Amino acid sequence: MILLAIVVLPLIAGLISVLAPGRTIAPLATLAASVTALALSVAAAASLVAGQPVVAVRNWVALDGFGALILLLTAALGSTAALFSWGYIAREKSARRLRRYYTNYNLFVASMLLVPVLIEPNLVWTAVELTTVLGVYLVAFENTREALEAGWKYSVLTIMGGAIALLGFLAMFAATSFGGGGPYTWQRLLMLAPAAPQGVLQVAFVLILVGFGAKAGLVPLHTWLPDAHSQAPSPICALLSGIKTTLVLYVILRFAAVLNVSASGSADVWATVVGLSSVAIAAFLIIQVTDYKRLFAFSTVEHMGIILTAAGIGGAAAHYGAVYQILNHALTKSFCFFAAGAALLTVDTRQIAAVHGLIRRSPAAGAALLLGGVAIAGAPPLAVFLSEFSILRSAIEREHYLTAGLLAAFVVIGFFGTLYHLNRMTFGRPEETEAGAAAARLPTSCLLTLILAGSPVVLLGLYMPKPLALLLRMAADGLSR
Amino acid sequence: MVRPAAVERLTPRMRRVMARSIGYNLLQVIFVVGLAPLAAGVLSRLKEIVQSRRGPSVLQPYRDLRKLFNKDQVVSEQASWIFRATPFLVFVAPIFVATLIPVLTSYPLFFAFMGDMLGGGFVLALGGFFATLAAVDTGNPYGPMGASRTRMVGFLAEPVFMIVFFMVSFVAGSTIPYIVQQHWVTPLANFFAPSHVLLVIAFIMLIIAETGRIPVDNPTGHFELAMIDESKSLEYSGTGMALMKWGGQMKLLVLMCILLNVLVTPWGLAADQRLSQVLLAALLVSLKIGVFLLVMVVIESSLAKLRLFRVSEFLGAAFVTSVVAMIGGLLGF
Amino acid sequence: MGEISALLASLNGLAAGLFLLSSFALAATRQVQGCLRFYIAQSVFLVVSALLLAFGLHASDLLAVAALDLAIKPIVIPWLLGRMVRGEIFRRREIDQVLNIPSSLLIALGLTLLAYFLSQRLPAPAGAMARINLPVGLAALLIGTYTLAVRREAVPQLIGVFGIENGALFVGIAIAPSLPLVAEMAFPFDMLIIALVIGILTRMTQERIGTTEVGGLASLKESVDG
Repeated sequence: MILLAIVVLPLIAGLISVLAPGRTIAPLATLAASVTALALSVAAAASLVAGQPVVAVRNWVALDGFGALILLLTAALGSTAALFSWGYIAREKSARRLRRYYTNYNLFVASMLLVPVLIEPNLVWTAVELTTVLGVYLVAFENTREALEAGWKYSVLTIMGGAIALLGFLAMFAATSFGGGGPYTWQRLLMLAPAAPQGVLQVAFVLILVGFGAKAGLVPLHTWLPDAHSQAPSPICALLSGIKTTLVLYVILRFAAVLNVSASGSADVWATVVGLSSVAIAAFLIIQVTDYKRLFAFSTVEHMGIILTAAGIGGAAAHYGAVYQILNHALTKSFCFFAAGAALLTVDTRQIAAVHGLIRRSPAAGAALLLGGVAIAGAPPLAVFLSEFSILRSAIEREHYLTAGLLAAFVVIGFFGTLYHLNRMTFGRPEETEAGAAAARLPTSCLLTLILAGSPVVLLGLYMPKPLALLLRMAADGLSR
Repeated sequence: MVRPAAVERLTPRMRRVMARSIGYNLLQVIFVVGLAPLAAGVLSRLKEIVQSRRGPSVLQPYRDLRKLFNKDQVVSEQASWIFRATPFLVFVAPIFVATLIPVLTSYPLFFAFMGDMLGGGFVLALGGFFATLAAVDTGNPYGPMGASRTRMVGFLAEPVFMIVFFMVSFVAGSTIPYIVQQHWVTPLANFFAPSHVLLVIAFIMLIIAETGRIPVDNPTGHFELAMIDESKSLEYSGTGMALMKWGGQMKLLVLMCILLNVLVTPWGLAADQRLSQVLLAALLVSLKIGVFLLVMVVIESSLAKLRLFRVSEFLGAAFVTSVVAMIGGLLGF
Repeated sequence: MGEISALLASLNGLAAGLFLLSSFALAATRQVQGCLRFYIAQSVFLVVSALLLAFGLHASDLLAVAALDLAIKPIVIPWLLGRMVRGEIFRRREIDQVLNIPSSLLIALGLTLLAYFLSQRLPAPAGAMARINLPVGLAALLIGTYTLAVRREAVPQLIGVFGIENGALFVGIAIAPSLPLVAEMAFPFDMLIIALVIGILTRMTQERIGTTEVGGLASLKESVDG
């Protein structure tokens, strides 16, 4: 029941946002719903870690380790982004548009919460497709020429990817439907895969990888991602980059696990090739980027590539690295976009070249942007470094030297590219003559979000709570089997 | 050759069968030659009715032909023998084809051994080829224009013709129209096979293009710059003009016969040697042609003529249809 | 019995052929209205194939799927689009696209042949009907992708997406007729929501920029940015 409540809560908040007049009820309801959903998710994950199965509807809605991790991250980011939205969207003058924003926000979050709790793959496809479609309005929310363009690129490419993946899902079902009737779940898919026709499984996986790869921002269909993730309002960027792409990747990884247990087939080569090329292209694009939100967007492409490569390397250690990277990416990347949003509120431009000495004009935004940049690029001792390092180590242990070498090289390129740009923005002398030099103070809710979202980024590298470590272990198990 | 000696050795019965076969073959030719103007007349009359006008009688094409035969022929001094020979070729080519294909009977007649569907196609193309040469021959400015346009339509239509014919022969396992015709209805499932239906669609589009009907060309248009097919015969008069017209009408009828009797509705043909059967078949075939003319009228009245450069798209569509039929055939639908 | 199943297979083949033909038309029509009409035709042939498969494979689930698809795809979605996107877009004579019509047709043909050879390489699915639906659906999927790539207009792009989805479903009904009904029902509703959202986006674009030629939007790039 708890799982259904988690999904229904944002829907109720969405309904309230439609109906309630004024400018304050909608954000309040959204925040309350998302925080409650987070609390419930923590409870669900806790009982799962304690060894109790969490089932809402048998064979349709249930939670396992991997799903619990994703659910937790989704709920957490849904809460922080709701808090950040409060201050960020307050600039919007029309109360109607404000309420519409919150309505769509809640629908979007509800659809994302739906993905990890469903265990019937075909319904998961529908849920993922819903997250994509419900995100369209939010991407184009700014209603500028550029935002609409981003909305179009986003919707056309990702919906196309979804339709291609649909064929893969159906083929996957067809390949495993020989076992007669009975429920069709992730678990059963893993059970049936060894006896399924291998050719069909391979084809189905490639279709899913290509189709959902477009949604996850994997090369070669990544082109929409920097546009959408730079034009959308910053809290939405945090959700899109932090968790929406990860959700899609989560589904791909589930199918990779299916392929890995099958008799002859293996997803390793596909995952490694697609993953590494995503990392490579993102690393080189980071260098020539001119817009700091696009910088973080390319970093998302890079991280998706890293996670997929980790899945491709295989083995328990690499899989642990993959889920650890998912956790770190979600928390850190959302923080980065909050920081970028704060910077945008302060300087009102997205151009890297137009910003100097941010740390003097707004210490909070500057410090946050620097911390985010350092963290996302993977500097020690922060968490992203740890997960990337563990992935590299497992690659070397399994004697995938070429993969390890290439991955290390591209990550280092991305690291320096990110820091080079952020360094230019944060330090130096602010140009006093610039328009808007009298910087707007950051709204309190934004400051609060930066602190709340920033603390796990700092702490997670130094200290890992035991239940969380257990949950990660369970999630990694779901990948390796 | 050996044939005269062989005829000597024929029994009277075989002789009678042969004579009947030749007779039916002649009947077939008479059917085509005689009814072609009527078909054209019915087509234009139906069109007038659809457009709620009072058109001339269905017999008007016969009157036109009689009038033209009674008139003097004027031939340019610059014209060569090609110009004089062409009307006869255009007139004879459809007659020749009419002896090859099943017009009235579902069994091959005496002259049917002379060629298959491909042969028929080439003979029809020969008439078109000479018509084109003749149009260029006199130096009239409109002739070459029409000729080049006809060739444009022609070379776009030819690949489709080839695919349709080869596909038909591939599916039916033969290029002989009499065998093809039987294939579609035995068993009935063959009739609904996508390769069959799509080939029919492609072939109808081809007939429209090849005989210069709307939407490719307007046969009743009188504006030289917009003409495709008609402008080739602008220089002809008198007997030559009559033969050209008649030949064109017969070509339409022959193509309709191939479409209806070989591809779409292989029913209603005479199955045995009795004369009554053949005469009944003549009636039924006329009926089928009448129905098809109705379809043509619907097509012609509901579409507008395409701009010249869009004709390639029309034929492109026909090409795609035929290739889809081919893929269907290869897949063994 | 064999006679009937042969006839069913043949009729299904016919539906498949016409389905493929309407995908071609989808890729090669100049008018937005025509595009929509061919989408409707394509969906109807999908439904016909689903019905034939339901009879041929004795899969009663497919009847419900066919009914739902018939209600949503050829009826509700076009109505919705017609309401949300203003009329002048539909009356627009010519859709701007990157390649001209004959080359589009040729490319679509190439894609069909590709789909044919791909499906030959795949392990053959069971049943005569699935052997037809697999390459045809695959071809429709590829042609839809191509349409999406070359069209510059909003609504035809959306219809390209629907073409892809139709192609996937065309394969799906044949290879996975026993799909859970809930999942099967979710697909058309998903399409409905897509149509709704993209319709809103089209309207926003039209109000803000004054055109629905979304292919012309190209200001977001690495070098030109800002």
